[in-house]
Amino acid sequence: MLRLDATKMILSHLKDEVVISNLGPTTDELWMAGHRDRNFYTYGSMGLCSSMALGMALSTDEKIISLDGDGSLLMNMGALATIAREKPKNLIVICWDNEEWAQTGHQKTHTAFSTDLEKVAIGCGIDKTATVRDIESLEGALLRALSEDGPWYINAKIEASEEYPVMPIEPEVTLWRFRRTFTDIPTGHLTAMPEARP
Amino acid sequence: MSNWAETILEELKKKEISLIAFVPDISIDRVTSLLENDPYFHVIAATREEEAIGIAAGAFAAGRNAAVFMQSSGFGNSVNAICSLAIPCRFPIPMFINLRGEVGEFNIAQVPMGRATRPILDVLNIPFYTLDTDHNLDKTVGGALKLCYSSREPIALCMTPLLHGGKLA
Repeated sequence: MLRLDATKMILSHLKDEVVISNLGPTTDELWMAGHRDRNFYTYGSMGLCSSMALGMALSTDEKIISLDGDGSLLMNMGALATIAREKPKNLIVICWDNEEWAQTGHQKTHTAFSTDLEKVAIGCGIDKTATVRDIESLEGALLRALSEDGPWYINAKIEASEEYPVMPIEPEVTLWRFRRTFTDIPTGHLTAMPEARP
Repeated sequence: MSNWAETILEELKKKEISLIAFVPDISIDRVTSLLENDPYFHVIAATREEEAIGIAAGAFAAGRNAAVFMQSSGFGNSVNAICSLAIPCRFPIPMFINLRGEVGEFNIAQVPMGRATRPILDVLNIPFYTLDTDHNLDKTVGGALKLCYSSREPIALCMTPLLHGGKLA
């Protein structure tokens, strides 16, 4: 399964659901698969994609889909423990697991050896989990996750892929555009400040 | 007895900050316990402080104002999250940081990070205010929160034992 094909398949099932993407290729390929105001692209902060998704899930009733990665999740496995503790019904974590740090030179991550991130999620207390190896299985798991309460953890094994252009949108534009779909107060002030809009 | 913790709660409510992500610290347990027992707030215990920054950022992105409570050691754990998420995306995240290594500190291991916290905030160009007295506490906290949202950048409120009395000799 290629991440770009899988990302396109995911977007084909969505309307206004949120998708937040891990830094690097996951973000670039989300942008390529289809730019939408409800996509939140990340630029750094490796490991925090699903933590941000948790913060979103606790702030809206809408479905939140986190597209995380094995290397990043290994850096912040505590995120799964906190998700299990908070149990947001509307959160779906999909972890692209290519068993390597692809961008830094294809070094093998721990999931290429004995670490099973689905078992980590189960051990943390996330009840609804799956590991999928092809796009049809991912589609089946996604449709269940979209229709049943979560939190969900879906570990998606993917193949190595080519590199695509870097997603070109400025970070502050991403936040401003995304937040505006939830509130007309873009700055967090109690009253909107239209003169401050970019 | 000082009402510092109640004052912080009031100022958070005035700015509609209703989601709190934190990692516990005994010296500021009074304020985090008050937050946990007040139904206005959703308080989330994180496993690590950079996770708390991520949770608060996600909340703000989805339209809810959020703040972080942590110790200076945890500020050390969250520097990259602040630099690569909060600053470039312009997330207004108020960070309440209990400063270790201040007067009354008993643990040598807590001194270097506590002492480095404000200089690190300074080189990151993050405004910080030291809370070490009840005097003008409401104005300092309220004004700092307002600045946080108007500048759309993180700010730090650094609490010392002179404010909360924790671990003073």
